[in-house]
Amino acid sequence: MAGTEAPLVEMRNIQKYYGRVHALRDVNLKIKRGEIVGLLGDNGAGKSTLIKVLSGAVPYTSGQIFINGQEVNLRSTNDAIASGIETIYQDSALIPQLSIARNLFLGRELRKGPGFMDRLDLDRMKEVAASLLKRVGISKNIPPSTAIGSLSGGERQAVAIARAMYFDSDLIILDEPTNNLGVAETQGVLRFVREARDTGHSCIFIAHNIHHVFQVVDRMVVMRRGSVVADDISPRTSSIQDVEDIITGEHAA
Amino acid sequence: MTEPSPTMAPPEPAMAAGLTRTLINKPEVGPLVLLVIMLVVFTAINPAFVSITNIGNALTFTVELGLIALAMTLLMTAGEFDLSVGSVFGFSPVVMWTLFNEAALPLPVAFLAAILVALVIGLVNGLFVTRLRIPSFLVTLGMLLVVRGTALWLTDGFPQRTWKADDQWLSKVLVGDFYIGSLRVYMSLIWFILLAVLFHYVLTRTRFGNWIQATGGNPVAARNRGVPTARVKTALFMLSAAMSAFAGIISSIRVSAANPNSGTGYELEVIAMVVIGGTALAGGRGTIIGTVLGVLILRLMRNGIVLIGVPGLAYNIFIGAIILGMMALHAALERRHNAGD
Repeated sequence: MAGTEAPLVEMRNIQKYYGRVHALRDVNLKIKRGEIVGLLGDNGAGKSTLIKVLSGAVPYTSGQIFINGQEVNLRSTNDAIASGIETIYQDSALIPQLSIARNLFLGRELRKGPGFMDRLDLDRMKEVAASLLKRVGISKNIPPSTAIGSLSGGERQAVAIARAMYFDSDLIILDEPTNNLGVAETQGVLRFVREARDTGHSCIFIAHNIHHVFQVVDRMVVMRRGSVVADDISPRTSSIQDVEDIITGEHAA
Repeated sequence: MTEPSPTMAPPEPAMAAGLTRTLINKPEVGPLVLLVIMLVVFTAINPAFVSITNIGNALTFTVELGLIALAMTLLMTAGEFDLSVGSVFGFSPVVMWTLFNEAALPLPVAFLAAILVALVIGLVNGLFVTRLRIPSFLVTLGMLLVVRGTALWLTDGFPQRTWKADDQWLSKVLVGDFYIGSLRVYMSLIWFILLAVLFHYVLTRTRFGNWIQATGGNPVAARNRGVPTARVKTALFMLSAAMSAFAGIISSIRVSAANPNSGTGYELEVIAMVVIGGTALAGGRGTIIGTVLGVLILRLMRNGIVLIGVPGLAYNIFIGAIILGMMALHAALERRHNAGD
């Protein structure tokens, strides 16, 4: 599979210290274009830290990050978004009081009118939101002016994923997207993830529920105590038991 | 901007049951109903309540607190509040009139200097809250004491003279009066209406307004989306202080005295106006229309209670009851809203 094309994202020798805590130990990770990678590991294994580094939310102590072969310096979430990395955090991706349309465009609002007296182009934002909702398959007829607070958990995830797809993020990072969701809603989210891949987006999928991960990913990466201990587990050739053993460190090593 | 403000539209007594479904999501409805009931009850007991003179008088005093309430609405929507507004209200005119009387600066320069000092006060509030992550309750409580203390120390506790202000164009622009028919209108009311329209527009139609709501609604998500939440909050603290200064200066010209003690306790009355109007104390949801209604409710209540013969000292009982009642109503509406589809 080792093509000559540069990977979409490559992290090289990433180290991260929180004070004296060594949270990431020499992490190397490559994500190819159009690939869904499951990131697994127990609590405290370093998954979140890795994701925060990649999304620009926390600075790394040393190492390099390349996007499309170009070295980048991610100092803020804005840098990451500008580099095409969209992170959907569990429960904290959306503003419950704001409408779907306003949430979709938060931070990148469409505006009209002259520079100083400009205002939100709410009509166009609603228009885009409505067509987007249809595309991600929210079947119920939900007007885009509905507040996020009155949506179900699955619908919220759908909105967050729709947002990442609309803004053509190359890499969508999903942090526990299936937590607290019902069966049907989980299936919906997994379907969106596949759809995102089919339209050329890469995904990093973090979930505690290994069954969900198995249903959707191309490859699994396992972290333990700040290190990547396995990075090429295929859901086709490995069993859930194998993966669990690697996560807990009970396999012969 | 000269079109009649939507916030000042006469309350419609339309309360058809069919409307409740759509109105339930609008936090302004509760205060609107309350205002209508108040108007009806007060007028029934004492018809003088709706007289031109009385309404005109009530509106004059209303706007000084109202100006602060407008800024407080934006700040509370962003999830913070400011207890130092009352002390800035008292302190800024002292600064302005001291500069005018002692340093012989032209009035407009003294005015700008006072506003600038207020902006610095707001900036310090904002930096303490956003950089040091101290809750705004503590920061602005500390600032309240510092600012009030400074005002008292500068003046030895005595009011500053302002009565040389009559022939100044600035004082005419700020508090001059004119007549519409037999209704005496102060310029400060015009300022209030203009600013209410502007703030409503900013909150609901601009990107900054979107950021204000996002900052109060879910700060972590807002930051993840690249919204500069710290800068939004700091800007709003500065706005809150500047509006308090503006209101304090207007008040000092109107009563011809810059009393270092004026504005004491205003912070709580302003916050009461804002929450009665339907702005969430926890942030994320705010309404300028509601705040205008809240301002009218508290002021007309104070006025009406006296007119219908309730002892003025009982005023606070009613205010407290209204706050509790409105909170219960908003909580109930919120629950119903979330339970709905």
